Amino acid sequence: MNNAISYPDVTQLAVPFFLSAILLELGWIVWRGRGGRYETRDALTSLVLGAGSVVSGMLLGFIAWGFFMWLWSLTPLDLGASALVIAVCFVLDDLRYYWVHRFGHRIRWVWAAHVNHHSSQHYNLTTALRQTWTGAFTWMMIVRAPLVLLGFHPAIVLFVGGLNLVYQFWFHTEAITRLPRWFEAVMNTPSHHRVHHGRNARYLDANYAGVFIIWDKMFGTFVPEQEHEKPDYGLVHNLGTFNPLRVAFHEWIGLFRDVFQPGLTLRQRFGYAFAPPGYSHDASRDTSAEIKAKHLARNPTDAGTPGFD
Amino acid sequence: MPLNILLILVVGGIAILALLLHLLGKSRLVILTPEDARTAWHRHFPDDEILGLTVASDGHAAVVQTDQGPGLLWSFGADTVARHLRDFDLLEKPGHLSVIFRDFTAPRVTLYLNATERPLLQKMMVPA
Ligand SMILES: [Zn+2]
Ligand SMILES: [Zn+2]
Repeated sequence: MNNAISYPDVTQLAVPFFLSAILLELGWIVWRGRGGRYETRDALTSLVLGAGSVVSGMLLGFIAWGFFMWLWSLTPLDLGASALVIAVCFVLDDLRYYWVHRFGHRIRWVWAAHVNHHSSQHYNLTTALRQTWTGAFTWMMIVRAPLVLLGFHPAIVLFVGGLNLVYQFWFHTEAITRLPRWFEAVMNTPSHHRVHHGRNARYLDANYAGVFIIWDKMFGTFVPEQEHEKPDYGLVHNLGTFNPLRVAFHEWIGLFRDVFQPGLTLRQRFGYAFAPPGYSHDASRDTSAEIKAKHLARNPTDAGTPGFD
Repeated sequence: MPLNILLILVVGGIAILALLLHLLGKSRLVILTPEDARTAWHRHFPDDEILGLTVASDGHAAVVQTDQGPGLLWSFGADTVARHLRDFDLLEKPGHLSVIFRDFTAPRVTLYLNATERPLLQKMMVPA
């Protein structure tokens, strides 16, 4: 296989589909008077962040591409481009997504890029497009290295990654409650991903899956949506701005301010950059573990229920 | 997809959606009752004990007295945002009051208060 191999950029091709689906969802909500909420400035911010992330991908995509092509020049393996190879790559890349996403919530350096996907207090199809501008700076492209070294061509790896992201679009909705049991068992769905966007103590750090929910079940991070507890969407500390620049960069600014404040040990500075979000050297903030513990102190009967075990 | 078509689609799509949402009345700020404000504060700060709470007459903001000091809750689109009043400046303007937080994620809140409530709320906002 030569380097001229080319696959369509699926995220760009999907733009007309994204826009029509948003109009459909909005129409459904207005018509039925239920199934979700929209707010003008919130949606506008999501859409601008989505467009910005495409631009950022165009400007910074060469970094990852250069890295992958360098790995490709090192590996003696070449699996070719049969349908089966692409399908296997899709599944393995979804496992890659699970871990990158999990790091995205457990390492502040990666969270600083991912946080804006969670910065809306709404959950509708526009929220899906609230994507990062700064993903290239997290170096999470390294997690894709094994795929390339195993002999999956970089173009295939990026192609299936694009498909993965496009799949994740449709389940950012409250218009769909539950799908057939077999589907909910294997696939990521609106219900599972609503949990992921919840700031409820119960739902923190759950359901990192991209396409297949089985990874969360395998690695112990699956929490089913509870009938009696609706997800409260957004961040533990919700943003008081719709400004896309502030949304895109706020956690990086907070991170660097924390790291470079005077009077810290090296270990503390390291903690502010790479420990789980909510780390503080003086216990002035709460990590998700502390938030869950405080919730259980207020609501002892929740102990042992999903999300609190 | 050619870049110019993508650009037209994205810019046009965003503009049409924003206009549509606005015309559908989706830009209205949420209006808070004291009960809403209390629930909203606990949503943002579940560990706080609320000692007192005053909602502005337009329903778009509330000054909350808590065991952690005073705080401000305000309408943020269809939702709310809250911050403790610790590190901030007040800018007094003829028609309104601006709260400038030294917080990159919530830089400024504009309060429209009538002549009777303004001095009262302003006094409550100052940390004891
Ligand atoms: Zn996430
Ligand atoms: Zn999401």
